[in-house]
Amino acid sequence: MSQYLLDKRDVEFTLFEHLKIEELLKLERYSEFSREIFEMVLNEGHKFSLEKLAPSNEEADAIGARFENGQVTVPQAYHTIHKDFCESGWFAPVHNPEYGGQGLPNVIGVALIEMFVAANSSYMFIPGLSVAAAHLIEVFGTDSDKALYVERMYCGEWAGTMCLTEPQAGSALGDLTTTAVPVEGEDYYLIKGNKIFISAGDQDITDNVIHLVIARVPGDPAGSRGISLFIVPKLRVGADGTIGESNDMRVTGIEEKMGIHASPTCSLSFGDEGQCRGYLVGERCRGLQYMFQMMNEARLVTGLQGVAIGNAAFQAALAYAKERAQGPKVTDRSADAKSVAIIEHPDVRRNLMTMKAYGEAIRAMLFNTAYLSDVALYGNDEVEKTKSQDMLDLLTPICKAYATDVGFKMTELAMQVHGGYGYIKEYGIEQQMRDVKIASLYEGTNGIQALDLLGRKMRLKNGALFMTWLQDTNEFLESIKDDGVLGGLVKDVEAAKNALGEAAFSFVSTGMSDPEYPLLHATPFLRMFGLVESARLLLEQANIAKQRLAQLWETRGVESSDATAREQLVQENDAARYYENKIQTAKFFVYQILPEARAILKSIQSSDRSALEVRF
Amino acid sequence: MKILTTVKRVTDPDMKVKIKPDQSGIITDGVEYRMNSFDEYGVEEAIRLKELHGGEVIVVSVGPAEATKEIRTALAMGADRGILVETNAELDSDAVARVLAEVVRRETPDIIVIGKQAVDSDRNQTGQLLASYLDLPQATFAYSLEVADGWAVVGREVDGGTSTKRVKLPAIITADLRLNEPRYASLPGIMKAKRKPLDTLTPADLGVDIAPKVRVLRYEAPEERAAGEIVGSVDELIDRLRNKAKVI
Repeated sequence: MSQYLLDKRDVEFTLFEHLKIEELLKLERYSEFSREIFEMVLNEGHKFSLEKLAPSNEEADAIGARFENGQVTVPQAYHTIHKDFCESGWFAPVHNPEYGGQGLPNVIGVALIEMFVAANSSYMFIPGLSVAAAHLIEVFGTDSDKALYVERMYCGEWAGTMCLTEPQAGSALGDLTTTAVPVEGEDYYLIKGNKIFISAGDQDITDNVIHLVIARVPGDPAGSRGISLFIVPKLRVGADGTIGESNDMRVTGIEEKMGIHASPTCSLSFGDEGQCRGYLVGERCRGLQYMFQMMNEARLVTGLQGVAIGNAAFQAALAYAKERAQGPKVTDRSADAKSVAIIEHPDVRRNLMTMKAYGEAIRAMLFNTAYLSDVALYGNDEVEKTKSQDMLDLLTPICKAYATDVGFKMTELAMQVHGGYGYIKEYGIEQQMRDVKIASLYEGTNGIQALDLLGRKMRLKNGALFMTWLQDTNEFLESIKDDGVLGGLVKDVEAAKNALGEAAFSFVSTGMSDPEYPLLHATPFLRMFGLVESARLLLEQANIAKQRLAQLWETRGVESSDATAREQLVQENDAARYYENKIQTAKFFVYQILPEARAILKSIQSSDRSALEVRF
Repeated sequence: MKILTTVKRVTDPDMKVKIKPDQSGIITDGVEYRMNSFDEYGVEEAIRLKELHGGEVIVVSVGPAEATKEIRTALAMGADRGILVETNAELDSDAVARVLAEVVRRETPDIIVIGKQAVDSDRNQTGQLLASYLDLPQATFAYSLEVADGWAVVGREVDGGTSTKRVKLPAIITADLRLNEPRYASLPGIMKAKRKPLDTLTPADLGVDIAPKVRVLRYEAPEERAAGEIVGSVDELIDRLRNKAKVI
């Protein structure tokens, strides 16, 4: 198994230098923290992921989750991990301290999740789902629900799940058939129905599992407007939190999956005996609305899986490429030319650089969005809060779909760097590829994300979200267009951004006469948006790196035109090397990857409907 | 029980250290630092003693202002208060021992549990020197420690095996890596650590002269190891060992 490696420098650069998260300390919610605490949290989180989570990742994949005699089991290592994870306080790092969370900013939370998921993605389903479900109860539940469930779930004593999908109701949730029948004189409903694909739907670690189930009360409207949300404990819970008898719900099976083997994906049956009690959350018929509020958070966490596993695969490939010697350097013409590490070969370097550029871009994208969510929730200024929420809404589907597609692509490139060794289990790359694939499928497939972006987010507030994004991007590009180092890149990013705008506006007119046409191009459009947003972020980072380099040169008395002195500094000084590389990364992305955005515009403008007209 | 422990801020042992071109020291630009790993065992043992016997754990560091980070880490693990004796001077083990001795005189702990050596300089002297300056018993390289009735029974790792030593408290115990398994700083621990007291003093405040007794002439990287060679037979191997390497 390859060792789990993290580019901690890039994580810290993105947080402290690019996003300047110390600004959050000015907000009341985060005023108790300091940069020192953030750094300690990141260090300890990294240590935990490295020493406690990573060692069982490969073994857990081989053992997998099991289902025998009606009971779900997870690998034994997860029992130990869970205990340590909870005791160390990692279960709910960003959630409400009143209920046992740690109250850290979301942007620190995503940096931690990147580490944890990269180290052991299957285990992370338990905390991920539990905390999301508990947060939903915290926001929409009654006081007694909150008192009963939230702290126990934030501390990992009880787990939680989200039960949406049914065999005939996946992307179309309005078609669900699970029912909830009110009981005269009682505070509960009787739940009846089947749910499938329930992540971390059960396990043998926690004493109880609290399911959040969507169902329809008979007589409520058909479709998604008649869906309500219920709290359905696996075991009944007394008012004081004592666990009682079975709540008439059972696991009927777990899926055999391509990846995330150690995370049990369950089929659940509720109310076989007509005795399954569910407690309404909030108001009737608003269940999907509540669920979707949480789905947006879940979509960012899903995007992070792409960031985490993609980058871990890149780091593994980088380490491998430095060690594996094959063939002499192409420029070495000597008779006894020796084999060099494959990192010396241009084709391998291109693969590595592609992963580096993608990986740093999607990390910046996800961290930036988490930062926006911190400001949107706890900002001091109303205008800034609204704007942050708008950008968060606009970028969420891109974070989810683009980052997971790119994350998968990175595992594929990492395998390519490993050659045949990547295809066998030993180096762990094939597991990363299997594990990350799910992220493009669940929490709304990437196709659904593209529809959300094009059909909803681009139209919100009459297109004002997109206009704000365009304006911000224009201002940034304008501010560096005369820059000696980066000015050359600005032209290309500007062209790609204009192509994106042109594509967006072309849909407005074509969509009127041919409503299917924009939908045909929704996925490429999202990809295009992801590319331009990546370029913008990498250029911002390069701009900061350039300023830091100038400071370094000044203190060292290095002339920017003196290539030898610069090289000498890079050799001696890791910071100089990192910043010089940042500029190279932006360059590579703009010249080698971004041109695709303009190609996508060409395909959108082609009026080609062959995929609609073909007779399959 | 009052327990004193120490932490040193050292260069991350996982990083490749580069020597300055003039050989006067190592390049500290962009170098990552962390708590000396032997000190982690010392801090852990101090916290365990407190958990068993009650009392207070004081964590001391001698070094630059940035060493508050390592003190905070120890506080996050469970120590109660910190003392930084701040100095940017190059320190030899003797100077550190003199500073610590003065801190011990002021704090009068019942026991001093510290790492046996630092992983940066690997000098393994401070604990012994400290015992000498304070004229207190010492038990070095501890792999086990039991405290009762004013005495400590210490299992020690020594050349060729182990030994057990009984010392009267207060005493200096230096921790080896089999003494315990250091805990992780928990997230709630980190949050609490920010409110724990941390005093900053200078060597001058303590009246200690930190002028070094050891002078470093220059730093040299170890010679790079040449590539290995596969020999054809056992006889050839013996011949090489005898006549070329001259080790048998």
